[in-house]
Amino acid sequence: MNKYLKYLILPFLILFIYYLNPFDLFLIGNETTFICVILICFVVEYFIEKAKNGEEIYMRPIAAIKAMEEAVGRATEMGKPVLYIPGISSLDEIDTISGLIILGHVAEMTAEYESNLHVPVCVPIVMETAKETCKESYLKKGRPDLYRNDMVHYVTDDQFAYAAGVNGIMLREKPAAIFFQGKFYAESLILAETGNSIGAIQIAGTGSSSQIPFFVTACDYTLIGEEFYAASAYLSGSPEMLGSIKGQDYVKVGCIILIILVFICSILNSYGYVNFDISSIFRVNVIK
Amino acid sequence: MKRQIAYFLVVFVGFLALAGHFIHYAPLNDFIDNDATQWFDIIAGFAAFLGVINLLQLHLNKVANKRQNWEYSIFTLFGFILMIIFGFIYNGSGFDMGPHLKKEGSAFYWMFKNIYLPLGASMFALLAFFVASASYRAFKIRNFEATLLLISGIFLMIGRVPIGQLIPWWITLEIYICLFFAIVANKFNDKKIMLYSLITSMITIPLIILFLDLTNLSILKIPEFQEWIMNVPATAGSRAIMIGIALGTIAQSYRIITGRERSILGD
Repeated sequence: MNKYLKYLILPFLILFIYYLNPFDLFLIGNETTFICVILICFVVEYFIEKAKNGEEIYMRPIAAIKAMEEAVGRATEMGKPVLYIPGISSLDEIDTISGLIILGHVAEMTAEYESNLHVPVCVPIVMETAKETCKESYLKKGRPDLYRNDMVHYVTDDQFAYAAGVNGIMLREKPAAIFFQGKFYAESLILAETGNSIGAIQIAGTGSSSQIPFFVTACDYTLIGEEFYAASAYLSGSPEMLGSIKGQDYVKVGCIILIILVFICSILNSYGYVNFDISSIFRVNVIK
Repeated sequence: MKRQIAYFLVVFVGFLALAGHFIHYAPLNDFIDNDATQWFDIIAGFAAFLGVINLLQLHLNKVANKRQNWEYSIFTLFGFILMIIFGFIYNGSGFDMGPHLKKEGSAFYWMFKNIYLPLGASMFALLAFFVASASYRAFKIRNFEATLLLISGIFLMIGRVPIGQLIPWWITLEIYICLFFAIVANKFNDKKIMLYSLITSMITIPLIILFLDLTNLSILKIPEFQEWIMNVPATAGSRAIMIGIALGTIAQSYRIITGRERSILGD
């Protein structure tokens, strides 16, 4: 028990120092964000530690993640390629990074099944990272001979030109499985509907909340919201990574409790039973 | 060793960027806000050359080896070379090279305005047709959720067009009654009873509403009802997803900057 005590003491010590702000060390105006980041990081770290120490972590089955291997298997059986689209944003977006991490796992599957992988990319820097990711995955699976240099290739930087290019690839090559994993904008539906029209099994995942409805409609499986970020941890299966997901889920429970608390307090405040407007402390302060 | 350096850089820069948002130290704040983003832009700029080389390599190989669909590669190469010529070599106007890219009258600008923009607009316009086909699939009545989606969709569509404003309260009420009976229809064993109940409800309920003077209720006005759908249930759902995304982003970033998520570095 004592070894976990640091996860209780340390965050509050940091927050206490932040409150005292010695030597004017911390920026003013970012309090809410700082408190949230510290608490979330320590909760996640606590569960990672617990998982490392052998605690069993239950993971809710996510259909989209389970379907990834099936999709690659289907493509292999049909003798058709797997198309992987890592979105249209650059590496400064966490969605793109998550998409590339999932690409690594998908590339391992295609290496194992000896299936043909095709990754058209919109941003040159993403192309270089995706190339390295695929190369390492093929090497890890002991099949560097199957890796081709043109597996990952650049199409264009322009949003709709990219959509047109990828649509062309879909219609000409008729891939059996299509993965949309990354940051998408208006082109999401154009791509997903074309994929749907050729009868490919489609698995989407994005953090763009406005594109999720389009993917849900046009794709067979969709990783919604945090599922997308958890997918890489889920696929890796390492206890450390799974522990972080459990920690994230506990933070979510905390958020739900806070929302209910704020809801009740706001009602009491509006009827004059409580003078303090609790919601004011949750308003995000952003400096600049 | 090479890989260890990469891990170290990811962890160091990750924590540095995080600290830059909370530590009051002007050089650090300046580095995070300006220099770091500029460094990224410079690296990404160099990667652009790699992209161009990759594009040329891929399509030249395709044409040279006459691989499947090589004919399309000719068009790609033709477009690429043409834009290079009009961008760097032939101006076609009296403007200096460089500024000519944005000056009306130059060959590059003409190509941009008359070829590139219409093609982009055409792709964007395709979205309307794809939205229609996607909506058709989504609105197909398969289960309770799909039915709910269909009903909400219809109310939203009607509420956002001018004719929605003209629909009187009693027609809206009749729509609600019909929808209610459509949902509970399978609970009735005798269809005649259902029909009589529907007709009775369609006559009596509007009269009751009229008698109680509740005709101004927001729910009986489709534009106001669709506004409520957008502001309450739709916003609640999207915010739930947003909270999940925010938590996922923090957890994912934490895994990366603590060096636990290494697949991005090819581990």
